[in-house]
Amino acid sequence: MKIYFELNGEPQYVEIEPGERLLDLLRRLGAKSVKEGCGTGECGSCTVLLDGRPVRSCLTFAAKANGHRVTTLEGLAPDGEMHPIQRAFLETGAVQCGFCTPGFVLTAYAFLRENPDPTPEEVREALVGNLCRCTGYVKIVEAVLLAAQWKREGVWS
Amino acid sequence: MGIQRYHFARDVEEALSLLAAYEGRGALVAGGVDVMLSLPPETEGLIDVTTAGLSYVEERKGELRVGAATTLARLQGASETGRYLGGFLREVLRLVANPALRNMATLGGALVSAHSWADIPTVLIALGAVAVWREDGKEERATVEELYARPFRGIFRRAVLTEIRFPHWDGAFAFEKISRNAGDIALLNAACGLGLDDEGRIAWARVALGATPRRGQRLPGIEEMLVGETPSEALWERVQREAEAQAQVGDDMRASAGWRRAVAGVLVRRALSRAAGKLRERGTG
Repeated sequence: MKIYFELNGEPQYVEIEPGERLLDLLRRLGAKSVKEGCGTGECGSCTVLLDGRPVRSCLTFAAKANGHRVTTLEGLAPDGEMHPIQRAFLETGAVQCGFCTPGFVLTAYAFLRENPDPTPEEVREALVGNLCRCTGYVKIVEAVLLAAQWKREGVWS
Repeated sequence: MGIQRYHFARDVEEALSLLAAYEGRGALVAGGVDVMLSLPPETEGLIDVTTAGLSYVEERKGELRVGAATTLARLQGASETGRYLGGFLREVLRLVANPALRNMATLGGALVSAHSWADIPTVLIALGAVAVWREDGKEERATVEELYARPFRGIFRRAVLTEIRFPHWDGAFAFEKISRNAGDIALLNAACGLGLDDEGRIAWARVALGATPRRGQRLPGIEEMLVGETPSEALWERVQREAEAQAQVGDDMRASAGWRRAVAGVLVRRALSRAAGKLRERGTG
């Protein structure tokens, strides 16, 4: 079947298998930031934004993207320049192996757009569905709080 | 053979006719969270009902009515949900899964999947929620508690769940859950509610316990012992002991029956005590 959707602002008119996962379609289209961790919706590594809201692409049928907007990490840094959330992750040491990082950054992006002045507790609640096996979560929470501060200061909108 | 077609149903009738046409080899998809992981191998057609007009939250005839394909996030954010029982469902949904899964999972999907460890079935039973579905050109309805007492999974291979109705309660509810971490499934959960008469005595009580490790069930013995009593610490202590005695608990890989029995009393006590506290705050208790 053919579907039409927008990937990181670019129109896509693509042939998909009816039972195909969004995760596989996005990687097939070159969005390699989308990672398969658990494949059962628990780890958050495959998180993408569907119409601006985080979803698990491993549990989303690709057909569901039809007529919608999908954003991956590539969409946050379209010209190869890191998004401020990515920079905040680097600055605070919130990245180790990096496999989970795209999911964290996209989850944080959607969250900070709704709540640009969160408490540490609110950040932890927003990130509850994203697992990191390397760094622990202290630095990741610090990174999101730093990105929030930069957003309030007008570094990004 | 594998999945051959993915359909977007324009309405419930189209979903029903597609289901019938696949003769058991079609599956309904709403959020898709459970379908993706548990699709029967014979499935050839997927029928997406999120395009069938089943995503809404409304207040009607004193009830909160929720379309079966409404995502948990949409339900959580709806102003109608905030007004129902002082925002009780928001309190629950904040603890269900995580924000990304709540953006995908639907209330109807949670009802039909009916995982034994899930929070929503326990809450639906405690609230006396009613499931409405269409089958053979007729509208059918039953309380979720009645539905779960039947072999209900077969129903939704030929029927479409359309709505969940939450009745009006003159009282307050509270929900308690214990899990290994904030994102994990429940080791045990409890949804309890009560209402008071003019003298401040308990006029009705609802007590449901889930993830025992079986799916949520009411504890009618506890509900009966509460009626006519006045909320107090002494009453909650008695309730805790009785809930420990009456809870039907078992072992599984996550927790032992002995642990669950002890925790069941604590969760029921906490939930009832918090529900009574809400009534006090509102000046009705």
